[in-house]
Amino acid sequence: MYPFQYQRATTPEQAVAAVAKVSGAAFVAGGTSQLDLMKEDVLRPSLLVDVSPLPLKTISAFEGGLRLGAGVSNTAAAIHPEVQARYPAVSEALLAGASTQIRNMASMGGNPLQRTRCPYFRDPAQPCNKREPGTGCAALKGLNRVHAIFGASTACVATHPSDLAVALAALDAQVQVTGPGGTRTIAFPDLHRLPGDTPQQDTTLVPGELITSIDLPSFTGRSHYLKVRERASYAFALVSCAVALEMDGKKIRRARVALGGVAHKPWRVPAAEALLAGKKPSEKLFRAATEVAFADAKPLEHNAYKLTMGRNLMLRALLETSGLQPLQGPAGTAFAASVGGVGGE
Amino acid sequence: MPDELQPLLPTGATVPNCELPDGTRLHELRGQPVVLAFASIDWNPAQVYQSEIFTRLLQEFDAGISSLEARTTTWHSLDWHSEAATQLGVTGQRALLLLDEQGVLRWQTTVTPGQEIRPGQVLAALEALRPPMSVTGEAPAAAGGVSRRTFLTATLAASALLLLVGASTAAEPVAATKNHPPMLPTPPADTVPITLTINGKTHRLEVEPRVALLDALRENLHLTGTKKGCDHGQCGACTVHLDGQSALSCLTLAVMGEGRQITTIEGLAQGDDLHPVQAAFVKHDAFQCGYCTPGQIMAAAALVQDKQKRSAAEIREAMSGNLCRCAAYPNIIAAIQETQTA
Repeated sequence: MYPFQYQRATTPEQAVAAVAKVSGAAFVAGGTSQLDLMKEDVLRPSLLVDVSPLPLKTISAFEGGLRLGAGVSNTAAAIHPEVQARYPAVSEALLAGASTQIRNMASMGGNPLQRTRCPYFRDPAQPCNKREPGTGCAALKGLNRVHAIFGASTACVATHPSDLAVALAALDAQVQVTGPGGTRTIAFPDLHRLPGDTPQQDTTLVPGELITSIDLPSFTGRSHYLKVRERASYAFALVSCAVALEMDGKKIRRARVALGGVAHKPWRVPAAEALLAGKKPSEKLFRAATEVAFADAKPLEHNAYKLTMGRNLMLRALLETSGLQPLQGPAGTAFAASVGGVGGE
Repeated sequence: MPDELQPLLPTGATVPNCELPDGTRLHELRGQPVVLAFASIDWNPAQVYQSEIFTRLLQEFDAGISSLEARTTTWHSLDWHSEAATQLGVTGQRALLLLDEQGVLRWQTTVTPGQEIRPGQVLAALEALRPPMSVTGEAPAAAGGVSRRTFLTATLAASALLLLVGASTAAEPVAATKNHPPMLPTPPADTVPITLTINGKTHRLEVEPRVALLDALRENLHLTGTKKGCDHGQCGACTVHLDGQSALSCLTLAVMGEGRQITTIEGLAQGDDLHPVQAAFVKHDAFQCGYCTPGQIMAAAALVQDKQKRSAAEIREAMSGNLCRCAAYPNIIAAIQETQTA
C-alpha cells in the first residue's frame, strides 16, 4: 500500500475543506472496500480524511420518512425497527450483502460509493479506463460474464456492486451532501452515472462532496429486494431487483423497479413502471413488464444469461412484493432476499 | 514496503550494445525506437497476457495513422539473467525501457517484486515520447522527441522487444499527461503516535497511517492470536471486536482504532476461565488445524451477545464471513448453538 497522510475529521465542513484542498485526497469511513483496493494498488489516495468520528450516526424521523445518518453502520440500519417495518427492501438488501463483520464496519454513506467488482478494474496490470483513463477496457473483449447489459459504453462495461443502492433507487431515496459549494440534495437515481467516455467517475459528486445522510421518503407501500448470487451467502449479485409497490385498493397506484448487477448504476425501468401503474397485479401483467424492462438490453459475449435471469428475477420480485407469491423468508431478512436459499439450506 | 529501486543505467545514457535473444545487437536497431521489456522466462500466463496487453496498447496508440500497414509484433520473453538484462542493470525486477532512434535510454520503469507494470505507465511513456503536433498535423522528428510514425513503424516492424523480468512500480518519473499522473517513487512515510485500548489495556505505539490494525496487533504489539488469512476481508481469520461488535482488523487502519474498545482473542477469557464460546469450541472439537479458530470464536462471541436463539441456517448466514479450510463447520455450528442457548 502506498503511503498517505491521515487526518481525523472534526466537523463535516472541516472534512470537506480538507479533502477539497488536497489533490488525490479522499474520505474514509468504514474503509472496507477502500482499504482493500489500496492494498491491491488500485487506489492511491494522498490523504485520507477519517469521517468516522463525525456525529452522523443517528436514525431519525424526517418529513414523514427516515433520515439515516451517513455514519450509521449497515448493521444498525438493517436491524432498525422502523427500517425493518417500513422499508424491508433496505434491510433485505443490506443483510443479503457482505458479511456480518463488514456490515458492522461499512457505513450508509460509504456503501453506495463502493467501486465496481470488475476483475480488470481490480488488477493494476490490466488496462482499465475506470482505473487508468485511456488504457482501454479489458472486459469488453475479455471475460465479461459479470458485466453490464444496460447503459454500457465502449470505454467501460462495469456494473455497480452495491445491493443497498438498488433498494434506495427503487425507493427514490434522497442523498444529502455537503461540499465546497455548500449543501445540496440529490435524488438517489441521479447519484450514480453511466460510464460514457469518463468511466473514472462513478457518481455525480464533485471532489470534496461528502454524503451526510440518506433520506427515505414517506412510503406506505410494500418493498422487497431479491438477489441471485453464485454462493449461498457473502457474494455480490449477478442480478438483483428491488421493487416498491404502492396500491390503490386492488390496483397498483405506483410501481418502482430497480435492477442491480446489470449496469454502471442501479437501473430503473421507467417503461415497465408505467406499464404497471393503474393495473391489477397478475402474473401476466408482471411478465409483460419484464419484457418491457429488458427490451433494450445489450448483452456482451458472456453475459446473455442475465437477460433470462433478470426477467425471471424481476417477475419473482413483483409476484412476491404484491403478495401473489410468498416471500422465501421473513420480510426484512437475508432469507427473504436470497434466491436459492442461504446458509446451506 | 520494498526499497525504491534504482536503475543502474540513467535516463539519457546511450545503451550498451547488448545481444538480444534473436541474435540482433542493439546497435543494429539504431535509427528506430525500441521498446525493451524484461521479465522472467518462466512460463507464466499472467506475463504472457500482459505482453499481449502491451502489444495492444502500442497498436491502439497507432490507431490514428491509417497509412501504416498492420504488422505482427514479435515479442521476445527474456530471462532476466540474460546478458542484455545484466548490461542494462535490470536484473531482479520486471522492467520496461524505451530507447530512441539514437539508442539513448529515454524512459524506464522497474517494478518491485509482486507488482506489475501498469498499462498507464506504458501509455504515459508513449505519450512522453510523442513530439508536439505541428500546425499541419505532421509530427516532426524533433531532436528531443521521436516521430510518432517512425516510432511506431519501427516498433511494430522491427519487433517491440519485450524483455520481461519480474513486475514493478516506477523508478523514473514520467512526464505527466492529463490522464496519467506521474509515477513517482514511494515517498518516505511518516509515522504517527497513537494510543490503542486493547483488552482493557492502553498501548502507545508509532505507526504509519497505512498500517492495518491486524499488523499493529501482530507486529508491533505481538498479540499474534489474531490471524492473517487473506488480508483482504474475505476469510474472517483476523476478526476482532471493535466496541463490542465483530470487525475485520485487516481492513481497519490502526490509526482508526484510536478511541475504540478493541478486544482480541487474547482478551476473551477471564484468567483461566474460558469464554463460553471458547469452552464450547473445545467441547465440540470445532476446529482441525486451528488457524481460522480465533476469528471464528471472535465472530461467534459477538453473535451470541444478544442471547437470541438462532437456527442452524441463521448461524451459517451470520457466520458466512468466516471461512474454515478444514471444513469444521458442523462442529462450529454445534458449539454456537450450545452457547446461545446456555
